[in-house]
Amino acid sequence: MGIRLYQELQLENPILIASWPGIGNIGIIAVDTLRGVLEAEEFGEIEPWDFFYPKRVLIRKGVLEHLEFPSSKFYFKRIERKDTIFFIGEEQPTEGGRMYAEGKKAYHMANLVLDVAEKFKCRRVYTSGAAVALTHHTTKPRVWAVPNSESLIPEIRGYGNTVLMSDIEGRGGQGNITGLNGLLLGVAKKRGFEAICLMGEIPVYLQGLPLSYPKASKSVLEVLNHSLKIEVNLDKLDELDQEVGRRIEEFYQQIPSEIRGQLDRLKHAPYDRPAEPGPITEDEEKKIMEDVENFFKKRGGGG
Amino acid sequence: MSQGYPITIYKEPDLRQSSLVLGWSEDVGNLGRKATDYLNQKLKGQEFAEIEPEDFFPLGGVVIEGNLARFPESKFYACQEHELVVFQSGSPGAEWYKFLNSVLDVAEHHCRVKELYILGAMISFSAHTTPRELLAVVNSTEMKKVLSQYDLARDMDYQTQPGERPTLNSFLLWVAKGRNIPGVSLWVPIPFYLAAMEDAQAQKKVLSFLNERLNLKIDFSDLDQEIREQNELLAQARSRFPQIDDYINRLESNLMLSEEENGELIKKIEEFLREGG
Repeated sequence: MGIRLYQELQLENPILIASWPGIGNIGIIAVDTLRGVLEAEEFGEIEPWDFFYPKRVLIRKGVLEHLEFPSSKFYFKRIERKDTIFFIGEEQPTEGGRMYAEGKKAYHMANLVLDVAEKFKCRRVYTSGAAVALTHHTTKPRVWAVPNSESLIPEIRGYGNTVLMSDIEGRGGQGNITGLNGLLLGVAKKRGFEAICLMGEIPVYLQGLPLSYPKASKSVLEVLNHSLKIEVNLDKLDELDQEVGRRIEEFYQQIPSEIRGQLDRLKHAPYDRPAEPGPITEDEEKKIMEDVENFFKKRGGGG
Repeated sequence: MSQGYPITIYKEPDLRQSSLVLGWSEDVGNLGRKATDYLNQKLKGQEFAEIEPEDFFPLGGVVIEGNLARFPESKFYACQEHELVVFQSGSPGAEWYKFLNSVLDVAEHHCRVKELYILGAMISFSAHTTPRELLAVVNSTEMKKVLSQYDLARDMDYQTQPGERPTLNSFLLWVAKGRNIPGVSLWVPIPFYLAAMEDAQAQKKVLSFLNERLNLKIDFSDLDQEIREQNELLAQARSRFPQIDDYINRLESNLMLSEEENGELIKKIEEFLREGG
């Protein structure tokens, strides 16, 4: 199991932006949108056979012609200020029916991605995922940023619409990032890369739905644009956001009015500002979570 | 162990140019297990190797089946006189590529296998009175030519549908192709109401092909007797339960049953066959 690079590249101090699917596909939509808009060029892949079960077979006239596996591809773009390597994994290499990667395979894949980063003398890695939050789908999602080194905190504080874990009430700077979007951050630290995971907020009541959440991807992209000092056109993402937004609103209207009333209050939940008591108390927050959970249980689980 | 793969060889088989027949033990109509058991019994297959389970199967306990504790088994049998290797195994739940390569490692390096035959069954919505057919998917045009003289449906077009994944048989066929081992994946459609039971006719269909192709000279009189008995039991079920007869009549006229009717037919046939009529 290894890496295949199709061409020899000369990149100047590139950064790596990597993502795999996760809740609401927030990270992967952000990274893939950026890759598409910048027209980054594919230059390599991680061989899939040891990591994945095939996803598609093509049989023509009784002959097995093609077996396709989930892809794990590298792309590059020479940008004026910063060369950029993108890594996009179509699936996380899961074991034992789990949703997110963990264990030996995940660790191996994270290391292969960083092997490529190292080959091109990249020292900065970004990953992206979702932050499940007590927010409302009509509010602009913020970005939770988790660095793997203290020295990155001042830089993150300069990003707009971004919070550190310590800014979020009740978390005390703690939390976890499941799957490879998180693991890569840790492996990067072990290997001496500086890395930041950017997580777009998704309302707690949408996390189990089989829908993407491009509104949060857009927030992540805005942070990336700022960090990379680039301007990219996000019109396509806006279109997707509008389309998904309609479906979310349809779902939202199906929620019993009593629970919806509670959820509506999340429009005003300033949970990151503990100094200012907001309109939702801790007890009410607990009640909202219970009501949402009960609603999904009655529906037969997360949509 | 062999070449870093978790293989245990008990005895080196004396094979020069063999064929590998592979069946999964959990298959529609129990076809893989029954057909490979039958070959081993008729051709005096001797167990000579196995793949250790720890990398491939969940080992958090044991499955109880038919009052017995079962443990995942992946065993090779040699039928030396017929230059045949039989592999019977549960479907692995992880590390599929490594597992399939382990199978082909034993086949290539210890048995000099030249051809691969993968057995499989699929659910059909036809009646049991419809003659079974045998579908074939090959991994090379040469293999297709070789098989052109047999009674096989060889021109299947198929593409994985959204929400589905390819079968392990396709995966194995593809791995074999990468190792230049010509192979065929054989599929027998089994009536849906026999899928959780056994279908002697389907077994006969696939075994007859192997018998002809590999010149095994098997006497099928015992299997023919099983087919007669199963057909008699199903005929009894039809005459005793008009509802069953009506459902099967409709299937024989190429009419679809509703989901509820399908469920009812399955339940009644399974109960009837389990009680032995």
